[in-house]
Amino acid sequence: MADEASLFQDISDAVVAMDEERVVDLVRAVIEKKIDVYEAIEKGLSHGMERAGQLFEEEEYFVPELLICSDAMYAGLDLLRPYLKRSDEGSKHKVVIGVIEGDTHDIGKNLVKIMLETAGFELHDLGRDVPAPRFVEKAREVDADIIAISTLMTTTMDGMAEVIRLLREANIRDRLKVIVGGGPVSQGFADRIGANGYAANAGAAVKLARRLLDGETVHAG
Amino acid sequence: MLDKMSPLGRLDAYGKGENIDRLPCVPIVGNTAARIIGVKVSELRNNGELLAEAQVEAYRLFGYDTIRIFTDLYVQAEAMGARVVKPSDETAYLDAPAITDASQIERLRPADPAHDGCLPAHLAATRIAVREVGLEVPVTTALTCPFTNASFLIGTENLIRFMYKDPAAVHKLCEVSLQTNVAFAGAIMEAGAAPSLTDPMSSSTVVSPAKFREFSLPYLARLITHLHSAGKKVTLHICGKTDRIWDYMVEAGADCISIDNQIDLGQACVKVGGRVRLMGNVAPSEVILQGTPDDVRTAVRTCVRKAWRSPKGYVVASGCSLPTETPFSNIHAMMDAVREIGFPVTEEKLREGS
Repeated sequence: MADEASLFQDISDAVVAMDEERVVDLVRAVIEKKIDVYEAIEKGLSHGMERAGQLFEEEEYFVPELLICSDAMYAGLDLLRPYLKRSDEGSKHKVVIGVIEGDTHDIGKNLVKIMLETAGFELHDLGRDVPAPRFVEKAREVDADIIAISTLMTTTMDGMAEVIRLLREANIRDRLKVIVGGGPVSQGFADRIGANGYAANAGAAVKLARRLLDGETVHAG
Repeated sequence: MLDKMSPLGRLDAYGKGENIDRLPCVPIVGNTAARIIGVKVSELRNNGELLAEAQVEAYRLFGYDTIRIFTDLYVQAEAMGARVVKPSDETAYLDAPAITDASQIERLRPADPAHDGCLPAHLAATRIAVREVGLEVPVTTALTCPFTNASFLIGTENLIRFMYKDPAAVHKLCEVSLQTNVAFAGAIMEAGAAPSLTDPMSSSTVVSPAKFREFSLPYLARLITHLHSAGKKVTLHICGKTDRIWDYMVEAGADCISIDNQIDLGQACVKVGGRVRLMGNVAPSEVILQGTPDDVRTAVRTCVRKAWRSPKGYVVASGCSLPTETPFSNIHAMMDAVREIGFPVTEEKLREGS
């Protein structure tokens, strides 16, 4: 047990250290030793990514560091994927995410996606420049728990309000949560358009998503 | 309310510490200029005459203190092979970078401002604006700086991954971007204007101060040295979080740093106000786009209160380019607020009507 705990800690540290090769080596050891892969993800890979997210919030890490950490995390995850049981996929909370129409800046969205995925959410990424009705369609199709909309541009913020309007029209507004973020967006704006929440950055988005879903446990993988 | 001084006269006197009628003020008008002359945003981009007309008419309507020929951040990257989408009535955006991996870097050539992309149109607009109003107001032309331009050449995610995985590639991309900058800046100065530097990707919202220093600062410094050797004063705009790189922006050689509303202007005065002029800080989105004229007035007074004593001076300005649909009434309100405060600024004037 002590061995496993220190292995998980090493994986977490290697993710934070942006050391992809070391992550891969350590994850191979997990597989060889037949250690519980879910635990390795939760206490190793995800744990490291959460710490990276925390450093990002504290402005110790910036966008490049978070991306390189996520590269290391995904390299480990890819190795473990074949050992995950399919039936577990269904139990995850679903998030439809995208950058609203008119905006093609998707780095912020990609970071939020990475952090949510790391935290155990199932992500449906619509990409950038996404028309408002597409968010609603996709949310219906996958029975999403959360719609996450991002923009970096002031000119496209109305599209966020439009998504909420369309959800109301379709009578499914109460079935899911809408969270918004991006440069020009503020808590005030989120309140005004009737979103459930605003997150200032990718780390905060995870906390917000968890809080909105009433702290229901979402397990990693 | 009419101004007593011309922008050039005002800026000159302000720089010498002489009396002026009001603080300089620059609501950074971008594609809102299309709305002034009733054309579509996309019509301006590659039409020098129309772009000049839009920007000159916007200046004449509002009476602000610097004209900036600008349509979007991508004109140099496009001239180097990046693909840009031009929606009919919105600001252009990057569709695909010029190259997709580091092996293609050697293919990139510095742009020729006389021939490539819409650079000739931007230069034509510059010449026309200088001819029309250059004797009364400074005319500048927007120039996207090396690090940001590099991000458009290979894609932002690639560029920032390379900062860790292939630093030499980042330097090559910045170098070829700098060469384009120098050529474009030369042509802008030949047209009688000054380049207006903008470098959003250098913001600490994106990269750390350490990475800024390693990858962006050297090229900015070389660019600014080049502009200084031609006798130009340089304004450097970086939006987002910048408090941890103000010292570097000064080190790069900027004479004026233009900063947005995510930082504390008062702190900027204390930290770097003795070395450079400050500009900006009026919130473009929350206040000037979405607020009322009264909100704008209040915001202007707040900024002036914080910064008017800054030793090297303060230019009241929006924190970033104004969104296209910014109401004219709010731009007028911004100018009027500065006129009402007048000069010298007094606490009494700042309280009036607030």
